[in-house]
Amino acid sequence: MSESNNEIVVRIEDLHKSFDDNEVLRGIDLAVRRGEVVVILGPSGSGKSTMLRCVNLLEKPTGGRIFFEDTEITAKKTDINVVRAKVGMVFQNFNLFPHLTAKKNVMLAQQKVLKRSREEAERVAVDQLTRVGLGDRIDYKPSELSGGQQQRVAIARALAMDPHVMLFDEATSALDPELVRDVLGVMKELAKGGMTMMVVTHEMGFARDVADRVIFMDGGVIVEEGTPEAVFDNPQSDRTKDFLGHIS
Amino acid sequence: MRTAIQFLRKHTLSAVAILFAAALALSFALPVQAHALDVERWTAKPNKDGDSTTVLGATATRVTWQGQSAEDESVAGVVIELPEGSTVEAENVKTTVLAGLDRLEAEAEATVDGSSVTVALSEPAPAGSLIMVECNRTLLPANGGTFGVAGSYTTADGQQHEMPATDQVITVSSTSPTEQASSWLGEQEWVKAWNSNKFLHLFFDPTLIVTSVPALFSGWLMSLGLVIISFPLAIPLGLIWSFLRMAKHRLPRALGATYINIVRGTPLFLQLYIAFFGLPLMGVQMDPFMMGAIVLIMNSSAYLAEIFRAGIQSINKGQSEAARSLGMSGMQTMFFVIIPQTVRRVIPTMTSEFILMYKDTSLLAAVGVMELMMYAKTITAATGNVTPYIVAAGFYLIVTIPMTKFINSMEARMAHGHRKHKKSDGGSAGTAEAAFEPGSDAAVARSIRMSETFAGPTEADAAAQIKKTAQRNGNHISH
Repeated sequence: MSESNNEIVVRIEDLHKSFDDNEVLRGIDLAVRRGEVVVILGPSGSGKSTMLRCVNLLEKPTGGRIFFEDTEITAKKTDINVVRAKVGMVFQNFNLFPHLTAKKNVMLAQQKVLKRSREEAERVAVDQLTRVGLGDRIDYKPSELSGGQQQRVAIARALAMDPHVMLFDEATSALDPELVRDVLGVMKELAKGGMTMMVVTHEMGFARDVADRVIFMDGGVIVEEGTPEAVFDNPQSDRTKDFLGHIS
Repeated sequence: MRTAIQFLRKHTLSAVAILFAAALALSFALPVQAHALDVERWTAKPNKDGDSTTVLGATATRVTWQGQSAEDESVAGVVIELPEGSTVEAENVKTTVLAGLDRLEAEAEATVDGSSVTVALSEPAPAGSLIMVECNRTLLPANGGTFGVAGSYTTADGQQHEMPATDQVITVSSTSPTEQASSWLGEQEWVKAWNSNKFLHLFFDPTLIVTSVPALFSGWLMSLGLVIISFPLAIPLGLIWSFLRMAKHRLPRALGATYINIVRGTPLFLQLYIAFFGLPLMGVQMDPFMMGAIVLIMNSSAYLAEIFRAGIQSINKGQSEAARSLGMSGMQTMFFVIIPQTVRRVIPTMTSEFILMYKDTSLLAAVGVMELMMYAKTITAATGNVTPYIVAAGFYLIVTIPMTKFINSMEARMAHGHRKHKKSDGGSAGTAEAAFEPGSDAAVARSIRMSETFAGPTEADAAAQIKKTAQRNGNHISH
């Protein structure tokens, strides 16, 4: 949103990633500025999730470099846990800790990683859960929440770490259509609040409304990128046209 | 001495010197009068099964008194004082008189007053005969003790004499209440009828059940103690082996796998022999209980390691990804996210392992640990009766059956809890018809247990799949 700030938060340089003989990423270059919302589109198998997972090293790149703020996270000496604490991630399958209540889910990493006191972690947890509209569900176990509620707890859990960037990996793909809206609503609020976001999604409406920049990936490379208007209304690449034609 | 007496009788010369000599002789002769009867035997028949030397108190035995009367002395009656507190029925007192080579069927009337047995012969026993009084089914004092002979005898002329002393004694060992109950049971008609059946007698002898239960109890405590001490110690060790087994680096992984495969691939019996016979040869001396516990811990830890590994690897990879994405270290992820979720899934299998270990303590009997089997074996060896083994089986079952029930109810609860959650979940609720939905805690817990019990294809498949994904993602625990 705020193009006035030019500071780059995530910079990806010539990123390659192979699983055995299968090259999933074939040289990605991308820079995400502070406050920017980047939506990554593409067919399945295009490497968009893998690219996202490389940003917090859930996947180890086989080539290229990734910088987070001033740190090269692909460097051997980097303490990846320190970086990860500042990079929030929301998964397709929520991945809440099923043995903990919503509040405890949000508190755990605050206490163990940020070494916040119990009281502070609890206060932050309640704040964040209220922010995502679950102030009345703080003591529920994940199994007692709907998918949409679980995903919002997951977002609160990531936000409680005060991340500098949030990664959304198909955050609404596992949800029933009527539950998607609540989650997208929370994501929109976040974007409005100036959060730097990298969002892998199939929600074209969200991309059009919220994205500062849309990236279209296919075959492990970035095929097209630009403003939502440019990519949606005037795609340059045939593959983009083909993809958008199928979606809408 | 007797010639001296005859001499005196035949030559009654009134000479001072001779009188003096007679007086002197009398001083010798007087005690000789008391020796008109010698006690030749004062015994009680050993009455403890499998022990040919012990006479138990409060347990039926036969007390035998045997006296040899002098050549010129005819005995008319005997009073035998049994040890204080003994009891015997008059009808069970049998008297026999042996004169020379003849066995005389003595007409004798026996009366019992307290512990004193009086035998009155209708015809005085001929001089020089042997008198035997057998007190059958005598119950000697339960508290035990050492008892000499006491009483008196009456000669044909009506003179009563003290029972001459003898160095023979009856040594009675004390009996516990259960031994008394056992011998009381042995007297009961229904027990006799029961034991007349060979099978019932050999496997379910009530008198042996009564004595075996308290005797085996200390062995049971020993077995229980072994497993209660060993099992909790095997858990952290098993966790360490499972971590090694799942380690990212090849060396610790090979170490863990080697240990687990060797221990699981050899019999516990062999491992016990190696420890109990090998270590002393190395000069390592250890209390058998300690040594047994150590072998059990080391053995069980290998099995627990595989249980933990199956449990840990059954947890969705997304859990560790979520934890790691929040900046938690591998260790923090393991202890705060993975293991707490694993516990529920492995508790049924761990309980099975506990039962196995408890049963395996029986193998320690072979290396001299005084556990349940050892006690049962000892009693069976002494009695030639299998009943103690049946009692031992009971002691094992009172632990294993409730634990098996616990496993079942735990699995049922998990399945039930899962169904409930699915129903209340508006989102991804599937059909809630199956008790064990794939991927539920209950289903995974059961598959872990089944794979542990039967080493069936479930584990192999799951392990292979997990291995594949683990390799693909390089997502080992020791990041």
